[in-house]
Amino acid sequence: MAQWDGQGLPPVAAERIARFARSGLRTSLLTVPGATGVQTIGLDPVGEVMGCIVEHIGWSGFGGCGYVGGMLGIGGFSGFGLGGPTITSSGSRGIVGFGPYVDALFHGYGTALRRMVDEASAMDADGVVGVRLSVSHLGNNNREFVALGTAVRARCQQRPSRVFTTDLAGQDVAKLLRAGWVPCAAVYGISVAVRHDDWTTQRQASWGAGNTEVSGYTELVWHVRADARHSFEQRARAAGAEGAIVSSMGLHISEIEPSEGHRDHVAEANVFGTALVSFHQGSTTPTRSLTILPLR
Amino acid sequence: MTADPTALGIPDDAMRRLAEMRPGQATSLFTSDLSVNEFLLVREAGFRPLGLVLGSSIYHVGFQMGRWGSNQELTTLSQAMYHARELAMARMEAEADQLDADGIVGVRLDIEFKEFGSDLAEFIAVGTAVSADEPQTPDGQSWRNNQGQPFTSDLSGQDFWTLIQAGYAPLGMVMGTCVYHVAHQRFWQAMGNIGQNVELPQFTEALYDARELAMSRMQAEAERLAAEGIVGVQLLSLGHRWGGHTTEFFAIGTAVRPLRADHVIDKPQLVLPLTDS
Repeated sequence: MAQWDGQGLPPVAAERIARFARSGLRTSLLTVPGATGVQTIGLDPVGEVMGCIVEHIGWSGFGGCGYVGGMLGIGGFSGFGLGGPTITSSGSRGIVGFGPYVDALFHGYGTALRRMVDEASAMDADGVVGVRLSVSHLGNNNREFVALGTAVRARCQQRPSRVFTTDLAGQDVAKLLRAGWVPCAAVYGISVAVRHDDWTTQRQASWGAGNTEVSGYTELVWHVRADARHSFEQRARAAGAEGAIVSSMGLHISEIEPSEGHRDHVAEANVFGTALVSFHQGSTTPTRSLTILPLR
Repeated sequence: MTADPTALGIPDDAMRRLAEMRPGQATSLFTSDLSVNEFLLVREAGFRPLGLVLGSSIYHVGFQMGRWGSNQELTTLSQAMYHARELAMARMEAEADQLDADGIVGVRLDIEFKEFGSDLAEFIAVGTAVSADEPQTPDGQSWRNNQGQPFTSDLSGQDFWTLIQAGYAPLGMVMGTCVYHVAHQRFWQAMGNIGQNVELPQFTEALYDARELAMSRMQAEAERLAAEGIVGVQLLSLGHRWGGHTTEFFAIGTAVRPLRADHVIDKPQLVLPLTDS
């Protein structure tokens, strides 16, 4: 088989789309309520679409907090309580921070989504609903990013300028459209920050510290979340959205030891959601709400 | 279904809107932590989401041993659990205040013990700041509470909608906590109970004590907000990491005040759903 050059869709994907066009077979990953939901608002499922990329992340950036004891020639630097500020990936420059690592994550998610959208456009779809983004670690710093969703086509003449994507389920898309909101893009924000364990932090986190806030760690998680939320908002804005519904927020902290007796903490935060635009100012709910009591 | 989708311009208008979009143009943008159902119901209740707000604190919880054979509150731990939550909530409220919000709905209050430190936990409060379409409540007051703070509520969007429909306004989340050490049984006591079905009055009393303390602290907070009552109260027993005999009893709910004299809502219609969940 000929080597694929990484442009456009891989040959097997292109072949599946071509076969799909010939046979007219329709597939979908939607649940029954999801499929019924999108059909009531004039969107017909046309097929499931997928995009994936396996990426090697061999270079995360120097990853330091900027206070490398060995480099400065004073191992006991932390003893003076001169903690460096938190360095976020979007603020990382030169020899500090995790900028290249975060760029690689953005590239991974972005490419998986783009390939999924390419499949959808090849099927003449207008949007992809119920998008699931996932990452799996394959070892040796290799990661697979997968985007999976159901392509839908609108029962109308008008075509959007770009295929819309959303991680919302079919039912939710139906309710939003009835209320005058249309999803325009699945958006995400990611940030990684690093902070040196300064003397104050070490003291506050030590066994005998009593009840106290560990201000250094609080600052670390505060900055990394703020940065991830900021990049989420920026992306929603760049998509031209008026609002964004967050579907998940994650945070992971770990300890690293860049050199002997020098500890830093690294936090990774992510925000996933869907950007929305409004198209009419009618009633806001799809149906009367309180007046139904299910007998279950 | 209440309306014909094509009459509402679905999907024609929606697709036209997407076609007209100019990516990168400056727009005012809100973010929200609500689900779609909650988002739509909050809008219908007359509120607009302004932004996701969040407060967090990583806290070193001090150390305190309960005496082996006694029932007692571990005040150091109670204080830690309360203070850290308070820090997270206050920071979330400060973010909402900056957005000029009238309130925060759908607040989640979580605790996560961290792997990298034995007594470290992150306390986090997340919610969606909202502003009311009407600047004043129907009875002519501010939506903010008597402390001048945006109201907070841990009710879901659905419950929030129902609360407003029924003529109540949330004032604030109120909470009370008590970390309690339950005494171990003395040897002869334990021996005496072997093979018997008996109440252990000492245990019963300890659990009563702890829960009553937590609930009365929550009540005191509601009184400070001049609330009529507290809805959606949860009374949780959280083991955290302290072993079997030390437990946190945590009471949390939303303090409310009436907006009007009657609290009548539409009589619900009964339906038989075709789905299980």
